[in-house]
Amino acid sequence: MRRLLVFIALAAAASLAAAQGGPQSWPTRPLRLVVPYAAGGPIDISSRLLAAKLQESLGQPVVVENRPGAGGNIGVDLIAKGPADGYSLVMSAIATLAINPSLYPDLPYDPLRDLRHVTLLVQVPNVLIVANDLPAKNVQELVALAKQRPGKLDFGSGSTGSTGHLAGELFKVMTGTYMVHIPYKGSAPALADMMAGRIHLMFDNLASALPSIKAGKVRALATTTLKRSSFLTELPTLDEAGLKGFDMTTWWGVSVAAKTPQPVVDRLSADILKAMDAADFKERLRGMGSEAPAIRTPEQFNAFVASELKTYTALVKRSGAKAD
Amino acid sequence: MDGIFSNLAIGFVEVFKLQPVTMWGMTLQHVPFNIIMCLIGCLLGTLIGVLPGIGPVATIAMLLPVTFNLSPIAALIMLAGIYYGAQYGGSTTAILVNIPGESSSVVTCLDGYQMARQGRAGPALATAAIGSFFAGCVSTLVVAMFAPPLAEVALKFGPAEYFSLMVLGLVAAVVLAHGSLVKAIAMVILGLLLGLVGTDVNSGVLRFAFGISELADGIGFVTVAMGMFGICEIIANLEQKEHREVFTSSVGKMMPSKEDWKRMVMPIIRGTALGSALGILPGGGALLASFGAYTLEKKVSKYSHEFGKGAIEGVAAPESANNAGAQTSFIPLLTLGIPSNAVMALMIGAMMIQGIAPGPQVMTERPQLFWGMICSMWVGNLMLVILNLPLIGMWIKLLSVPYRYLYPSILLFMAIGVFSISNQPFDCFLMAVFGLLGYVCVKLGCEPAPLILGFILGPLMEENLRRAMLLSRGDPWVFISPSKPISMGFLLASVALLVIIAAPALRKKREEVFVEET
Repeated sequence: MRRLLVFIALAAAASLAAAQGGPQSWPTRPLRLVVPYAAGGPIDISSRLLAAKLQESLGQPVVVENRPGAGGNIGVDLIAKGPADGYSLVMSAIATLAINPSLYPDLPYDPLRDLRHVTLLVQVPNVLIVANDLPAKNVQELVALAKQRPGKLDFGSGSTGSTGHLAGELFKVMTGTYMVHIPYKGSAPALADMMAGRIHLMFDNLASALPSIKAGKVRALATTTLKRSSFLTELPTLDEAGLKGFDMTTWWGVSVAAKTPQPVVDRLSADILKAMDAADFKERLRGMGSEAPAIRTPEQFNAFVASELKTYTALVKRSGAKAD
Repeated sequence: MDGIFSNLAIGFVEVFKLQPVTMWGMTLQHVPFNIIMCLIGCLLGTLIGVLPGIGPVATIAMLLPVTFNLSPIAALIMLAGIYYGAQYGGSTTAILVNIPGESSSVVTCLDGYQMARQGRAGPALATAAIGSFFAGCVSTLVVAMFAPPLAEVALKFGPAEYFSLMVLGLVAAVVLAHGSLVKAIAMVILGLLLGLVGTDVNSGVLRFAFGISELADGIGFVTVAMGMFGICEIIANLEQKEHREVFTSSVGKMMPSKEDWKRMVMPIIRGTALGSALGILPGGGALLASFGAYTLEKKVSKYSHEFGKGAIEGVAAPESANNAGAQTSFIPLLTLGIPSNAVMALMIGAMMIQGIAPGPQVMTERPQLFWGMICSMWVGNLMLVILNLPLIGMWIKLLSVPYRYLYPSILLFMAIGVFSISNQPFDCFLMAVFGLLGYVCVKLGCEPAPLILGFILGPLMEENLRRAMLLSRGDPWVFISPSKPISMGFLLASVALLVIIAAPALRKKREEVFVEET
């Protein structure tokens, strides 16, 4: 019995030492990176790429764990409420951090209070694309057409409350036009319907729209970011086309529980940035349509999340979308 | 025609190309690397197909980072191999233990498992392999020859057309059952209701989730299918003391008899045709193909009374159809750059990360890649049949394992499979609930197949109905207007099918009443 007590005391001391050991002793065991979506999407793929890179630099296995459900909320909540020891990471995104809080009335976590945002990994612009047989050749003509035929144009999106949907709503508000939203399950079927001329326009993320644009199956009119995309340099931005300040990207990055120690956050951030600056990794992310984000430090990322949350809260309210 | 042959020649040269390979610091000259990748893909695919729950999507996603070190062609050949390999493997568990590993093998359970119970697991597995091989060969040729025009056909299918096709599918679901018509309809409706659980596509409102966040994305197909088929079968087996050993004692012959061969030829051809046609439709086309092929056979076969009791046609037709559909579902991807299902979306991801923009230009800009991949499918199908025929002997031996050892392992594998999909223990409980529901249904003489079809088609049907209505601004005539001949055709066919089904059923009912009275 005494020996058992000694053993327990030793074990407790050892774990205390490990806990207080600071960043030198972190990480001492495998990390898990929760992906709050089913395997296979771009967020999942980039997470697996990142996990492989982090594994090299941290010297510990990084296990990708898919926890899909409730639009990503289940997986994010798991980390928000989990131990703040730096061993549990989550790939959070615009949906789970900025849009869902106003879309889902009883979101179990607070994206600013419960989470610490480490590094913004990917930023993909959306593009405004129209069906080939639509007469509008540029944004001004599209606005004129929408004003001339109110309620006759259809815009598709990957789902209700997606960035594509909200970009369309913002477009309607800024131009004072009325178009009908046609939600799909994912942007691929919406693209197919657009090629067949059944819907007129959509705001799709660059990665999924690019093949069809390049093949001439649909026509791109503008990107939704303030800066032109390096993939389609000749394409104007909506801001240039007269919709001043129109700025929407799809983004995702790594977050941890809010109380995670600062040294651990710094080390993680440094290692993720190192991976992102590696040529091969950069190239893979570029293959997914991502421009290297200008936001680099955890502070910048946290401020970015806060401002995005504000923007989308207002936008969702205006669009009337909700999931209760 | 000459063009096709020279294109196929490019492809085969690419597939069989010998290249230097560096591995573990050693460089080997003249390695048929692409063929090896094809073999690995097929092997892995068969394996995950056999394991319930773990599907090709998760496997490909996990392997994706590994493929970045390969050449694009080798990577795509391997990933495609996993996909169609899984279609082969899925039928094995369906036939042997009544677990549909993949959604497309649900129908194979119906007659395949009955064949196994009669000691004909060998011929059933062989039929599935042979049918799949034939279908794979033919549909690969279809992809090679008609990809661009077929892609145009796929684009003709809008929400209205899909809705009408689903209606036809649901009516056909009733044909799947061989018992009472009323019970079949009840099961279809129950399936439709279960399919409603989750987030509404149009408004984003949660329906029937009862505050359980795990239900927000709906009930998983694999959960329902494994519960209703796998668990239910185990309960039913355990209930009848030692009789269940019957089908394990007589393992029987491995290969189909002469009679079997004769009976499987036409179903394989019809299944291949139907599967190739429906496979090009994005969104559930390949799945509808296996259900459609089964229904078709049941209607045209002179052995229709044997369906559901171990008819070889009931294995041959849907297995050919799902494999043909799996191949032709590459068409929208290769020609339009549009993925027709989750696996194809992943293939697009793989291509883009390799720096290839999928779409029609792939065919002209990178003919080696395009034709190499198509030819690899043919080679892969050949490998699968060579791999799988000898394996049949091993699989059958599995059945001679005493049931008291077999069923706990099956249960364990099912639980692992269901858990692996979203790492939620909740799904395992849900599977158990569906197992109980399935058992109650069996006791009531209701069959699970129509429920499963209703469950799959319901959400698709609702989605397309509402989308079509949104696009038409609420005008219901879009489904039967002359400008939509395809939609109108499907609806007319549904009505015709309904009449055909109802007529004998009504007659039978009168006979039943008469019998009961005397």
